[in-house]
Amino acid sequence: MNSQIKLSTVIVTLFGAFLVYSSFILGDSENYLFPRLISATIAILTIMLWFEKGEADKSTNFKDLLPGIAIASAFILLLKILGFYLASMIVFFTLVMYYTKPMESKDFWRVLLIKLGVAFVFTFALYGLFTLLLKVHTPEGLF
Amino acid sequence: MEFLNYFDNVFTIYHIALLVGGTFAGIILGALPGLSPTMSVALLIPFTFHMKPESGLILLGAMYTATVAGGAISAILVNVPGAPANIATALDGHKMAQDGKAKNALHYCFISSFVGGIFGVFILIFFTPPLAALSLKFMSTEMFWVAILGITIIATLDSKSVIKGLLSGLFGLMLATIGEHPTNAVERFVFTDHLESGVHIVVGLIGLFAMPQVWNLLENFYAKKNRVFSATGDATLTQSFKLVFSKLKALSIGSIIGSVIGIIPGAGGQIAGIVAYDQSKKVSTNRENYGKGEPEAIIAAESANNSMVGPSLIPLLTLSIPGSPTAAVLLGGLLIHGIFPGHDIFTKNPEVIWTFIDSLIIAQILMLIIGLFLSRHSKWIMKVPDNYMAVGILLLAVFGTYSIQNNYSDVLIMFILGTLMYFGSKAGFSPVPVVLGLILGTMTEEKFLLGNLIGNAKGSSFQHFTSGTINIVLISLCIASIVYGVYSSRKSKKIKA
Repeated sequence: MNSQIKLSTVIVTLFGAFLVYSSFILGDSENYLFPRLISATIAILTIMLWFEKGEADKSTNFKDLLPGIAIASAFILLLKILGFYLASMIVFFTLVMYYTKPMESKDFWRVLLIKLGVAFVFTFALYGLFTLLLKVHTPEGLF
Repeated sequence: MEFLNYFDNVFTIYHIALLVGGTFAGIILGALPGLSPTMSVALLIPFTFHMKPESGLILLGAMYTATVAGGAISAILVNVPGAPANIATALDGHKMAQDGKAKNALHYCFISSFVGGIFGVFILIFFTPPLAALSLKFMSTEMFWVAILGITIIATLDSKSVIKGLLSGLFGLMLATIGEHPTNAVERFVFTDHLESGVHIVVGLIGLFAMPQVWNLLENFYAKKNRVFSATGDATLTQSFKLVFSKLKALSIGSIIGSVIGIIPGAGGQIAGIVAYDQSKKVSTNRENYGKGEPEAIIAAESANNSMVGPSLIPLLTLSIPGSPTAAVLLGGLLIHGIFPGHDIFTKNPEVIWTFIDSLIIAQILMLIIGLFLSRHSKWIMKVPDNYMAVGILLLAVFGTYSIQNNYSDVLIMFILGTLMYFGSKAGFSPVPVVLGLILGTMTEEKFLLGNLIGNAKGSSFQHFTSGTINIVLISLCIASIVYGVYSSRKSKKIKA
């Protein structure tokens, strides 16, 4: 068993233990009957997982992934403060600016202006589609 | 021939516009490498909330049909299948593109998809009502085992590891228990206010399918891209039609195999395409050309993966067991519109269901016309940069999630669930069993509690769940599917070794 499989197995085991604990200890037998059945089966399968000879977990390129997760998380948090459309325009522009291929960045200001324009047009298109056409509510903030 | 009575409902300007829009968008989304039919349908569900049930289902059905066919465009031009269903198409389709015959390959692909698709819809029309009548014999315990069977089959077929597949399905069932108890309204697992209303099906669908795609596009953004070929070739449309219909053997093998595999719960287009490719190769006189750009191979694979679409809805509409991962998402769409699969689906909602099924025929015709038109411009579709695609999916996912109940907590749940699923998929866990568990969770618990109540009244709950012919057959099928899953996973490990 390699170290990566062990890591995912450990996480699943901890999660399974948490489910068993919350079904059997925190909950009563009447309302938690079905969750108890499921969590007990999860516990049995988790034990079997330790003995399974599986493939190694796929590696993660955190260097390229984490900035994306950070920007998207900031977007989710800012959603309520700034509103959907302003936050969308900012996250659109930030993500496409951060994830720029080396060949794109020869003329920085041109790239920046194009991406800003695309972010504006895309957000405006979303506004037209969601708010004007479909009349659907979006998170409200400043805008 | 009841289905003929409902064509009028399809031929309204509004529904035709939905069909054209859904097919157009579906082919484009299907053609974008990595955007699967399952994710496309999941993202579309919130847009159907404000529509009548039949209109919403028409749009979802058109999207389902078109994305499966559209996935062949990237399989042929970039050698990256747009969906798992198009893996077999890439083998010969891309070779044809390398030989400067991409246009020919795209013609064969859309024409054979159309033939297979129409065949599949007729299988759906003629086989669904008798199976729905059979489901009348299913009471609470039988329905409980049907749900467990559905999760077991999808868990074993969609995952490399049977244990991880089953765990994924069970996690889905656990997710469904968050929030109020189905009968007592007692809150369970509500550790924070955000979990008060539980995990809504569509929140789960979008999170589990869309967010991992966003992270995947960003993580691999700087990785080397494949060369995109232009849709060049010497074939006219008439020549392509003649060629496809001259390969009747490949066309029949693809359509029949696709339909049979479509009916098998959980199997899906990927298996249909590969099995049809393999069987067609075995009986072909040109078998030495397979893998080198053989039109027959494309015809067999594409007719199979599209003929799977209609039959994959048969177990879905009658027993709540989806025939493919995308059908699992469609089940969520049905439930949201208040359509509950089962024996009375054709008596309670005949207009909605027959209009939906009829619209699938029109969707196939539109898929052929729009597909042939778009394939000429497909090189431009391939050029959408991954960073734009990722942010587009992110914004649609957030909007779609929020619009369900105008609830910010749903957005947080979707985001966290999707991110956890991405890392889970790296460890071999699949989102499809999780989604099915989430969708079937409430129904499974209700049937379990009812069966348990009746069983206790009779004297033994265990005996009540394990007696009766249908129960025994269903339990045997659950065991057989697990045994088959273990066997096939060991076999594939041996082949790799």
